[in-house]
Amino acid sequence: MLRITGGKIYDPANGIDGQVKDLCVDDTGTIVSSVDGGRTIDASGMIIFPGGVDVHTHVAGGAINFARAMTPEDHRRTQAFIRTQSRRSGLGGMAPTTFATGYLYAGMGFTTVNEAAVPVLSARHTHEELADIPIVDKATLTLMANNEIMLDQMEAGEYERAKNVVAWYIWAAKSYGVKAVNPGGVAAWKWGSDAKQLTDPIDGYNSLTPGKIVTMLATICDDLGLPHPMHLHCNNLGAPGNISTTIDTLKHLEGHRAHIAHSQYHAYGGDDWDTMCSATVQLAEYFNTHPNITTDAGAVLFGDTVTITADGPWQHLLYKLTGRKWGNLDVENETGCGIVPYTYRPSNLVNAVQWASGLELMLLIRNPWQVFLSTDHPNGGCFWRYPEIIQLLMCADFRSECIKTLPDRIKSKITLPEIDREYTLYEVATSMSAGPARALGLTRKGNLGIGCDADIVIYEEEDDVARMFSHPRYVIKGGEVVIEDGDIRETPEGREFLVKPSCAPETDEFMRPLFEDCYTMSFENYPVEFERIENPNMQECVNASEK
Amino acid sequence: MTCTLGEVKQRADFIVYWGGNPAECHPRHFTKYTIMQKSKFLPRGRKDRTMVMVDIRETKSAKAANIFLQVKPGKDFELITILRALIKDQQVGDEQIAETGLTREALDDLVQRMKSCKFGCFFFGMGLSMTRGKHMNSAALLTLAAEMNAFTKFVAMPMRGHGNVTGADVIMRWQTGYPFGITFNRGYPRYNPGEFSTVDVLVRGDCDAAFIIGADPGATMPQPAINHLKRIPTICLDPHVTHTSKLARVHITTAAQGISAPGTAYRMDEIPMPLKPALKSPYPTDEEVVRRINEAIAQKPFWLPEGSQPQMISTQV
Repeated sequence: MLRITGGKIYDPANGIDGQVKDLCVDDTGTIVSSVDGGRTIDASGMIIFPGGVDVHTHVAGGAINFARAMTPEDHRRTQAFIRTQSRRSGLGGMAPTTFATGYLYAGMGFTTVNEAAVPVLSARHTHEELADIPIVDKATLTLMANNEIMLDQMEAGEYERAKNVVAWYIWAAKSYGVKAVNPGGVAAWKWGSDAKQLTDPIDGYNSLTPGKIVTMLATICDDLGLPHPMHLHCNNLGAPGNISTTIDTLKHLEGHRAHIAHSQYHAYGGDDWDTMCSATVQLAEYFNTHPNITTDAGAVLFGDTVTITADGPWQHLLYKLTGRKWGNLDVENETGCGIVPYTYRPSNLVNAVQWASGLELMLLIRNPWQVFLSTDHPNGGCFWRYPEIIQLLMCADFRSECIKTLPDRIKSKITLPEIDREYTLYEVATSMSAGPARALGLTRKGNLGIGCDADIVIYEEEDDVARMFSHPRYVIKGGEVVIEDGDIRETPEGREFLVKPSCAPETDEFMRPLFEDCYTMSFENYPVEFERIENPNMQECVNASEK
Repeated sequence: MTCTLGEVKQRADFIVYWGGNPAECHPRHFTKYTIMQKSKFLPRGRKDRTMVMVDIRETKSAKAANIFLQVKPGKDFELITILRALIKDQQVGDEQIAETGLTREALDDLVQRMKSCKFGCFFFGMGLSMTRGKHMNSAALLTLAAEMNAFTKFVAMPMRGHGNVTGADVIMRWQTGYPFGITFNRGYPRYNPGEFSTVDVLVRGDCDAAFIIGADPGATMPQPAINHLKRIPTICLDPHVTHTSKLARVHITTAAQGISAPGTAYRMDEIPMPLKPALKSPYPTDEEVVRRINEAIAQKPFWLPEGSQPQMISTQV
């Protein structure tokens, strides 16, 4: 039991903007109206946030583990966690090890993370890794938009079948929702090509286009009543002039819920690398007039990182551009994945445009319930650098200082210098916690109301925003004080959120022959056993029509 | 640039084995995953695929190949480098080609076939990765595969050893960041193959106890390493009595993975496969033994007094 007194509470889910209020937590780790006895934390003069929620990150699974193997030089120089009685050893850096991932997220006040890209074939691996990430609660999304069994059904116009296939895969992977990456493009990459136009048929198909996949998959997610809508990584990522593809994609989503991942990478104008510029004004305008769609920034920070994505063709291009290491891993029937270490440099015009675009999106999209803090970890920067972004959002002066260090030629390519908006603490709390929790459909997260999970962060108020957000005074996860005065005190195991969408019973028999045709493991061994999930937490699917 | 075996099964119309002998070492590999399979894209199976074998001698696997290229021992790196030049239409001298033991015609033909296939795949074995040049050979072949993607789809994959070596590798990577050759002697993981690899630690006599699970270094390691294992308390977990158990202070018989103990094994393409035991065993599983040892250790005082060392260091030295 725990009582927190005297703190200024920022709880956007309940419209509380800095009021001083007491918070009480019972023995089950739930926020309640009052408790008798137990510890009291005096939070006078301090700031209280709901625990952070990362809507889009890559912290576990085959791809990030491939990235770890590819970057020993970074592990060698980065921060190291030394083993203590209550804590395992590990390494931070660009692709932190599992235990360190939990400590770093919690150390920054984040208590829920969404691993945004899991191929079903290696989902068993992802869940084993997630079990080794302590403290934070976790959800995973299944990669669907290039699944050939599903694409074949879409091509044949068999909507119901396609829907059942999606539901079957979600439960086979024991995941929480659907991720679509470069719809059709990764399937085409298996023959070495890509899909850049929404209305052109995909390589290997007669009539199926990326646009059709986008619309159908969004409909399927709505019809299955998934708590989190389709999580979409649009076609044509990272390319100059891709804003037209992105807007075109958004138009295919009219009338549906959707979450657009790392939209910074999809908001460029220009025709080639020389003329590339930010087109965030156009994209932000679309979001401002379409409240059905949410997004995360996918902001870029200057420095070293490693890029990993299921977008295989883009990574091949990045390898050709940089000449650095390239890892590629295609997964049978389902998806692909590429890994390239990368350094974002302020002196590089393209990188400077990317840096500005991420911030512009966060500042130009007016409703913080629609745009969330993310770097698409580790692609735009490592998650433990989020406080640097918060500082850039909250301090216009600091932002102008940073812009001054960029090359002069950047001025005509970006709109950031003209924006003077500064995030308030209330808006920060929305963008890093309440908003993403609502988008994920996790009603007990990002919310300090009665009956919600007691995931609470307490900051000592100070002028240095980056410092304040990187060093919370207390972090409470499920009612347990896990961080206190900069030390990790407890390392409880996190839960995993799962959904079981309804699926026609004959889907098993329908899948079996198709499966045996293209996979190399037996059908019975393919779905992840429910018993293998440590601390599973089932979430309800609510059909859109019943809402 | 690699892929899962199902991709090879479905798509690869051009398969090169380099320095391996799958016919004898991976007996189910051809039939389950590669040349013998029919698929949606390659309906005639073996007839739709071309197999090339590159090796220093004509093994049983070479008989299965359409083309056999006999490279001179120790000249793999040279051959790969020549191929990297030829695919980019760079000049290569006759002498350099002669050094590899192959002819220009054979190499031109190979390059032409590599470029014109729809999906090519290199599988490489210890004949490449453990002979002169070692990891430089593997790196060169991986680079060749990467560069081939300028022309067509190409991937490369190592033929991993038996047992669950890939699984060990995968888990060490997520827990420590490194695949093998790791030391924790400063309280956090550090990596240096050649220094912290088991054989090096044993030969130098750096460790004062050894805990061996499902491996038989007593049969495979050099004599100085074995001698050190004899000197120190060695504990061995194995379903069978091995050379190592004979020199160990303690041998604990455990249930055999996949036969009488459940678990997960990672296939060589890093896909996890659940193991479902077919039989019951009177012996405990490896997992149970290790868990009970851990519990016993947890009863003892911590190895360092509280607060005697930092919990975190921001940059390593």
